[in-house]
Amino acid sequence: MDLVLTEVRKTFGGVVAVDDVSAVMPQDKVTALIGPNGAGKTTLFNAITGFDPPDRGSISFGDRRIDGLPPWRVAELGLIRTFQTPVGFTTLTVRESLLTAATPHFVETPVQALGLGRRARGHERASEARAEELTADLGMADLLDVRTDELSAGDRKLLEFARSLMAEPKMLLLDEPAAAVAPANIGRLSQLVRRLCDERGLGSLIIDHNLSFLMQIADEVHVLDRGALLASGPPSEIAANPDVMRVYLGEEQP
Amino acid sequence: MTNPIFWVGVLTLAAIYASLAMALNVESGWGGMWDLGIAGLLAAGSYCYVILTADPDLGMRFAPGLSMWVAWPLSALFTGLVAFAIGAPALRLRREYFLITTLAFAEIIRQLVVIQADFTRGTLGIPNINRPFDSFVTGRDYNYVLLVIAALAAAVMYLVTRQIGSSPFGRTLRAARDNEAVALALGKRVNRMRIQTFVLAGILIGATAPVYLFYIRAISPQLFAPGITFTVWTALVIGGLGSIRGGLAGAFVLIVFTEAVGLIEVDPAHINILVAIEPMLVGLLLVLVLRFRPDGLFSERDSFGSRRTQAERASGRAATASSRPTAAAQASD
Ligand SMILES: Nc1ncnc2c1ncn2[C@@H]1O[C@H](COP(=O)(O)OP(=O)(O)OP(=O)(O)O)[C@@H](O)[C@H]1O
Ligand SMILES: [Mg+2]
Repeated sequence: MDLVLTEVRKTFGGVVAVDDVSAVMPQDKVTALIGPNGAGKTTLFNAITGFDPPDRGSISFGDRRIDGLPPWRVAELGLIRTFQTPVGFTTLTVRESLLTAATPHFVETPVQALGLGRRARGHERASEARAEELTADLGMADLLDVRTDELSAGDRKLLEFARSLMAEPKMLLLDEPAAAVAPANIGRLSQLVRRLCDERGLGSLIIDHNLSFLMQIADEVHVLDRGALLASGPPSEIAANPDVMRVYLGEEQP
Repeated sequence: MTNPIFWVGVLTLAAIYASLAMALNVESGWGGMWDLGIAGLLAAGSYCYVILTADPDLGMRFAPGLSMWVAWPLSALFTGLVAFAIGAPALRLRREYFLITTLAFAEIIRQLVVIQADFTRGTLGIPNINRPFDSFVTGRDYNYVLLVIAALAAAVMYLVTRQIGSSPFGRTLRAARDNEAVALALGKRVNRMRIQTFVLAGILIGATAPVYLFYIRAISPQLFAPGITFTVWTALVIGGLGSIRGGLAGAFVLIVFTEAVGLIEVDPAHINILVAIEPMLVGLLLVLVLRFRPDGLFSERDSFGSRRTQAERASGRAATASSRPTAAAQASD
């Protein structure tokens, strides 16, 4: 089951943000998407996840066309994304945010809300245990009962990641998961991403500017420049590619 | 000062407003849908109830003369239906347009009541509405019966809304209110849940309508002017939008305050001045409450989530290592 993009194009007025991108991202591999600021990476995420459908081209996941589907439907098919700016559910605690992500829609009905159903409770308890385990893995167990708007930017980034995992994804789409995260936690994050992929076959598509983080964990790297795919290949090959070096020179953050 | 019957009436009215404010909190506090159409929904529920139970001798075109115990749930359901008819189009709009649209729908309902005089008796209104246990308890003593009914209704409303608020449904509702994009990215059917919530609030308001009718005894379209909506909103804001107990507390504070202002003894010649400054005093109360408690008397923060941390803090700072099992134990109760 792969995520397949075919000649995906997205323009904003005169700006071609994504310029006929075709690529295959295997569902069980870690794929990196890199490129300088404004290259169109987030726009591509928005196109895939239904937040901002492409003007042209097709996107499919497994044997399903997903372009044109509403975001919640794309998510239901197992493609769970995070956001570059980690605002989150501001007034919910970390625990509540994670439980919300883990709640399937048959538990979220008015009938269940009125206490007339029994299915919710068992599910809730299992999710709670998962949330505690996951936050421990990410070094944020002590933050479970802290409200999202009281977290540091780095911790909110980790919450974005943890939250998407709670939703039982088939593939993760992470928009700059390591930005603002403390170095020690970046190590935990990359280990977890790698382990999820190797042990459970849960792949991800990751945007980030932290190349050393990405090059360590990615199986495959795609380089986007001004909307178009500049190069694709394994990390070692990309690192040695002179075009890629040129695009990044002077634009890489210090 | 005044006789106890007066205060029984005040508390009855407060309990009715408390029920409405708690229902409003479900859609506006947790659902984030700022509804200015409470008066319209209350009118829909009230007229449904009155028509279904009306005395056939009044000459209304449709008067099945149902028992009040049958008409009561039917009115609640009918109000839910009306809420669906309003919510389905209005929820496509962004917040401020939604606000205006709900206000407009409420006025449309009121005008419909006036125009459809064959069914509603229009501006003539309907007097002497039947009340439960009317034949057993008469005269002034009935006020106590009414207080019990209103208090029971408020208690049930409190339990029901608390259950909704602390359920996974309520949590996702708050989540989607905080950040719709994230909720969608997690596969939440945000629009559907909002319509369900809007209808649910409509049903709760419709269920309160008969109690309101027992209190006022006679119905006419003027009763359902937007003033009711603003009183309910004021009560909820004073009590704490999004908190579980806010509507309850806010309504009692507001209604008792307002009625007490009405008791101030003035020279009959100046009574119109008192009437004129009454809204100002209510405004002053609102400003004072929000000055010292910006989230209202009760806050959403105290109602959810952070309760655990407070409990943990209260249970003493044993070894830090023991804090995780504590949290887990409390979570599973
Ligand atoms: N909603 C929008 N309206 C207009 N232009 C947009 C919009 N979203 C993105 N763009 C433009 O599209 C281009 C690509 O933006 P995008 O956010 O996808 O870049 P990015 O690769 O994610 O950059 P960064 O690394 O800074 O996050 C930019 O020129 C941006 O200004
Ligand atoms: Mg971006």
